[in-house]
Amino acid sequence: MIKITNLEKIYRTEEVETVALNKLSIHVKEGEFVAIMGPSGCGKSTLLNILGLLDDPDAGSFIFNGIEVAHFNERKRADLRKHNIGFVFQSFNLIDELTVFENVELPLIYTGVKPADRKKRVEEVLDKVQIMHRRNHYPQQLSGGQQQRVAVARAVVNNPKLILADEPTGNLDSSNGNEVMQLLTDLNEQGTTIVMVTHSEHDARYSHRIIRMLDGHTVMENIMV
Amino acid sequence: MFKNYLKIAVRNLLKSKSFSFINITGLAVGMAGVILILLWMQNELSIDQYHENKDRIYAVWNKAVFDGKIQCWSVTPKPLAAAMKQDYPEIEQVTRKRGADGLLLTVKEKKLVASGSFVDSNFLNVFTFPLVQGNKNSVLKNMSSIVITEKLAKRLFGNEDPMNKTILIDSSDNFTVTGVLKDLPNTTDFAFDYLIPWSYSTKLGWDDQYWGNNSVKTYAELKPGVNIAAFGNKVKDVTKRHSKNEEDVEVFLHPMAKWHLYSSFENGKIAGGKIVVVRMFGLIALFILVIACINFMNLSTARSEKRAKEVGIRKVVGAGKKLLIGQFIGESVLLSFIAGLFALLLVQLSLGAFNDLVNKQLYVPYASPWFWLSAIAFILITGLLAGSYPAFYLSSFKPVSILKGTFKSSGALVTPRKVLVVLQFSFAISLIISTIIVQKQIVYAQQRQSGYVRDGIVYTFLKGDLEKNYSLVRNELLSSGAVTSVTKTSAPLTEGWSNSWGIGWEGKEPNSKIVLDRYVADNNIVKTAGFKLVAGRDFDLDAYKTDSLGIILNESAVKVMGFKDPIGKIVKDNGRDWHVVGVIQDFILQSPYQPTVPMVIEGAMGWFNVIHMRLNGANSATANMAKVEAIFKKYNPAYPFDYRFIDEEYAQKFDGEKRTAKFVGLFAALTIFISCLGLFGLAAYMAENRVKEIGVRKVLGASIFSITTLLSKDFVKLVVIAILIASPMAWYGMNKWLDGYAYRIQVSWWLFAMAGFGAIFIALITVSYQSVKAAMANPVKSLRSE
Repeated sequence: MIKITNLEKIYRTEEVETVALNKLSIHVKEGEFVAIMGPSGCGKSTLLNILGLLDDPDAGSFIFNGIEVAHFNERKRADLRKHNIGFVFQSFNLIDELTVFENVELPLIYTGVKPADRKKRVEEVLDKVQIMHRRNHYPQQLSGGQQQRVAVARAVVNNPKLILADEPTGNLDSSNGNEVMQLLTDLNEQGTTIVMVTHSEHDARYSHRIIRMLDGHTVMENIMV
Repeated sequence: MFKNYLKIAVRNLLKSKSFSFINITGLAVGMAGVILILLWMQNELSIDQYHENKDRIYAVWNKAVFDGKIQCWSVTPKPLAAAMKQDYPEIEQVTRKRGADGLLLTVKEKKLVASGSFVDSNFLNVFTFPLVQGNKNSVLKNMSSIVITEKLAKRLFGNEDPMNKTILIDSSDNFTVTGVLKDLPNTTDFAFDYLIPWSYSTKLGWDDQYWGNNSVKTYAELKPGVNIAAFGNKVKDVTKRHSKNEEDVEVFLHPMAKWHLYSSFENGKIAGGKIVVVRMFGLIALFILVIACINFMNLSTARSEKRAKEVGIRKVVGAGKKLLIGQFIGESVLLSFIAGLFALLLVQLSLGAFNDLVNKQLYVPYASPWFWLSAIAFILITGLLAGSYPAFYLSSFKPVSILKGTFKSSGALVTPRKVLVVLQFSFAISLIISTIIVQKQIVYAQQRQSGYVRDGIVYTFLKGDLEKNYSLVRNELLSSGAVTSVTKTSAPLTEGWSNSWGIGWEGKEPNSKIVLDRYVADNNIVKTAGFKLVAGRDFDLDAYKTDSLGIILNESAVKVMGFKDPIGKIVKDNGRDWHVVGVIQDFILQSPYQPTVPMVIEGAMGWFNVIHMRLNGANSATANMAKVEAIFKKYNPAYPFDYRFIDEEYAQKFDGEKRTAKFVGLFAALTIFISCLGLFGLAAYMAENRVKEIGVRKVLGASIFSITTLLSKDFVKLVVIAILIASPMAWYGMNKWLDGYAYRIQVSWWLFAMAGFGAIFIALITVSYQSVKAAMANPVKSLRSE
């Protein structure tokens, strides 16, 4: 599903040049659950942003579902993104002015789903993440774990092939964290490919494979049993 | 999608209440100002544009060369109309109009003076003034017919049907109401309450066939399809031909479409007119709208960090840039819609005062679909203008940095915001400077020596039995002790009603066409007016019977006539020889902004319209006027005693400029208000963004004063730049304006300094509230959040 080869990303400021990704090559098959680990600044978030088509690489190839997307323009990337990729962030990133229901509904609006179908679909996923009873609440009225469940619901509502999770449990206590990890595992078992960046060895154990990065390239891969 | 946008827009409005308040208030005030100006402009542009045949109607104007310059004027000789109709088949019809002001209308016990006109019987066929009753082809045919407006009908007859009722005019002739006109719309320069037939003015002996007497308006309606350029060429010598070359005057046709806005001529060519003012106010309207929109832009981008997360998330879940732009513009349109509603309310509340200011009867045409269409267009344009920059700005955020929390609005992004603040204050300061200059110019002209003693002079028009009883009235006035001097004159001391280039004197160049103001006074004019005599004496009929053919010159007249020793010299006018008895200092008869012109005051053999009285300063004005009124009532019982004070009439000469000053001042205040509102909001965000910096500085020992200064300094800098931009702009514009006045102030540098300090002061007050608040905050709070 994802095949990146010799990917490079360099951040430049006036004085400093930081190599975020250095000839990185990774392959993720459909249905896999991959965890990416490494110290701060090793480039894992940059990688996730490029995988999520939020950022573009400076060099190298990125084939997504058989299509070379490394040099797509913003409009094309947005289009590909909204149909194929869901995101879960460490800081949840829900829109404060929208209710739980409306937050989850948002991706469906942008993909042009009809209101009646939207309602059905949103209710289904809210049910799945067990947050249906709070559908009319605003994010600030929810606990961290609940907010992250809403974020997961939003990420999957469009039935994406790929979910990218950036430290999804980073702001949660362990029991809430476990719930979210279980949710991701369930999704993976239903066929969704998951790439997750994490600092937590505990979380990483939910995955099939751990890719360890340092200074912009992979140093080790562990296959989980 | 739309519902979603609307929802989030409404929730955002409610959530950041102070932001919404500042934005809506600023926009509403700005929009209200713009709507008022647009209403005014719309009215100006539609003046007399509604007449059915307006494309074929022309006012007949004259032009002639004086002192090497072509002068144009709109009044014509009385025989011109008939001559044109007779000579040119291109003309469908010609009609004339002259004022009939001052006539007394009496219906039973009711007496009143209204504004009327003598017109030819086809007047209502040429112009579109619809009749509610009567037939426009015949209402003015009979000499004793009168056509009145509905308003006048109401005043004279109450709710009775006025048709065929009788109105007594000047207690001498009975007129029958043959038609009732719909009240004149607010879109015409014509002003009359009644029309009476031209034939009546002939009966009064006010008609003449003299080609040198330019005193009436002549209007021609051409046949359809006439080539105006060719016809203009053909018609221009009509006066010359008919006066047998005695009047060296060319006739030209001024099209109706241009009457109101383009009636200023320079050297024979149209040189603008009111259109200049219309354009200027159009520009001011645009400025105000832009300034109000700038607030929205600045505040929206200033609080962009608050919206950044939303933008990031929307982008991540699939919103393209276009959709986001649509969303943000939608929000600003919603905001401008709400502001528009408030603006309408403001307009409704302030329209009365605004009408007083501009001297018009404007109204909001709520019933017109065009109004609502333009209102919607106006709201959309405002929303787009205000929202487009923030929309592009906000929608271009990169989601990666926002969602990682590394987003910071960078230093460079502040620059456009600064530019916009400078722009706002440049407008505001230019308007402040302009207001000060207009004000100074008025005061300057008001302080100009008028050349006579204005206080304590009263005048009334010579009507009814006053002419007959004049000597009795005069004697009784003088012996009553209320009045120290009485003089009959041709016109009020504040108005020139006559001038001529036909006045002759010993040694005048035969071909020179010097125009002299002509004034007439019977007796004691120097005493009554308080002129300063420089040679000779006042008219004194009691001592010198020959003073009835005496003449008094002003100093300018002595100069143009070239008299070394003027007393006793002969001046020829109207076929009479007048001998000079005195010379006075120039006085201001007409505009206090223009230089005084050569002038003659002819003696008692002239004609009279006005009685001037100098009140006895030893008594109170009320006591004096009570006595005066009793005497006039006694000798002229049919007429109400209608009098005016010269000092008040003189003050009216400044009304136009005072109105301009108020208008510019009002909009200067508006722009300052809106700009400060924006500055206030910006300062709030700035204080919020720098809260940590302030905390650190305070911990390190900074005083409240030093922090307040630090925070205010940036804004003051912007205002200073604005002063530098505004000053030359205002200097140029106001010098142009002042060029229209011969008697004018020089623009001095301290005016700019004054306006500049004023602007800095206002900006400081606006900003310091937020600065002081931020500086006083406890640093522990702001630093704890780390």
